[in-house]
Amino acid sequence: MYDIKHLEDEWKKYRKKKLKPWAIGILSFILLSLFTVLFLMNVKIDMGFLKTYFDVSKETLPFEGKINGIQKKKDQNSVLINSALDRLETNNVTNRVVNQPLNTLVEMDELQVKDLAQAKTKMHLEIIESTSVKAYADVEKRFLESHDIDDALFLARSYYKKGAYEKSEHWALETNKLDEESEESLFIFVKSKAKQGRKNEAVAILTVYIKESNSQEGKKLLYQIQNDTL
Amino acid sequence: MKSRYEIAKSVFVDSVDIDDYIDLNASVTAYQQLRHSMDKPLKMILLFGKPGTGKSILLNRIQEKLKDQKEIHYFDTPAINEKEFFHKLFKILTQKDLPSNTEVNFSALIDFCKNLRGKREIIILLDEAQMYGPEMMEKIRLLSDSRAIKFVVSLHKTDDEDLIAKEHFQSRIWEVIELKNATMEDQTAYIHKKLLKKNLFEIANSIKEKNMKRIHKYTKGNYRECNKLLFTIFEICEFYDKNEPSKVNYAKMSDKIIEMSALKLGYINV
Repeated sequence: MYDIKHLEDEWKKYRKKKLKPWAIGILSFILLSLFTVLFLMNVKIDMGFLKTYFDVSKETLPFEGKINGIQKKKDQNSVLINSALDRLETNNVTNRVVNQPLNTLVEMDELQVKDLAQAKTKMHLEIIESTSVKAYADVEKRFLESHDIDDALFLARSYYKKGAYEKSEHWALETNKLDEESEESLFIFVKSKAKQGRKNEAVAILTVYIKESNSQEGKKLLYQIQNDTL
Repeated sequence: MKSRYEIAKSVFVDSVDIDDYIDLNASVTAYQQLRHSMDKPLKMILLFGKPGTGKSILLNRIQEKLKDQKEIHYFDTPAINEKEFFHKLFKILTQKDLPSNTEVNFSALIDFCKNLRGKREIIILLDEAQMYGPEMMEKIRLLSDSRAIKFVVSLHKTDDEDLIAKEHFQSRIWEVIELKNATMEDQTAYIHKKLLKKNLFEIANSIKEKNMKRIHKYTKGNYRECNKLLFTIFEICEFYDKNEPSKVNYAKMSDKIIEMSALKLGYINV
């Protein structure tokens, strides 16, 4: 008679060896399915919105250098922008822009800056997990609490991109209240006006700005507005 | 008390016992083919297949069936040497023993055979013929040329033996019958019929289709391997039946026992 105990032990080892690839296969399949489902769900929700968001982000890149340039001439430029905005006749809030103290962000204490950083991170997470309409509303709501310049600029860009020029004008102005040196916010503001048919206002503001800052981008934009190639 | 598995085990002891012969589709076909070939004016018939495909039992079966109708002789194991082979043949042909200290004169034997043509038809069944050397095979061929003796030569099928078959047999007027491993259906019938022959209905019924598939997978339908595996399976069952009855499912053969047997016989490895 055989050594049955030994044979049983051998069989247990064989069984383990036989089941191992199945266990690995099933586990891999479950994990793969799970990741695939999660991935597909995420893509479906945020793809359109992310596209808008990143496209806008790319557009801002050429202006970043200009903003930095303007930053160097801080005192001079802040006066120029303020005076350009002074010329707005139709918007009552422009007076508040003139009276707004410079460098609002710089004046924030450390705690506020920290909150701001958290808010930025939160914004991206919320956008990914929400529909685009809800995301805009969330960012607007959050802006009321945080007065985050990135939120305002993001809304200005996004609404301009979407063709909601009234809103983009509003948010460009909100951005400029927080950062008077932001050339991009001024450009969005001017372009929004031009798109709404207030070409003369747009040209007047931009002309003053160019005269004072000698901005090449501004000149380019002025040319586009005047020639209706915006 | 004797375990039921002890009897089942004995059913699968590998032997060439004509009582153990099981009629299966493939074996009935092979039998009829061989029987038909033996009626033809052929000098030699080649029966070949892998070891364990049932060549020996088929030769036994044909001898048993025809022994009262024809002069048929079965050489189960090859002679140790040529001298012994011709002594044996001399006795068949002359029905006399060769006197001691004498040897068969091959030329005289050929002449003797030629004289027998038309008077007697002798059939010699040569099992395990791959063990005969080329010289011996040539003498067998010359004997068959006398047309008084018809040889049925059984060969193992291996690469080398195929070569022997080509060199010695294929150039002559021969009939070739090949035996193959059993199909799943034939093997299932083989196992069931063997057990039922010993009235082991419950055990036969406990081996389900899934078990049969597993057995066929391990043995590849080879009858000898099948006997070995079933013998081992029932030996393990017998052990459990006597010592740990809780481990035996009498209604259904467990895969565990089949796999343990396969491990024991080396069909599978850890």
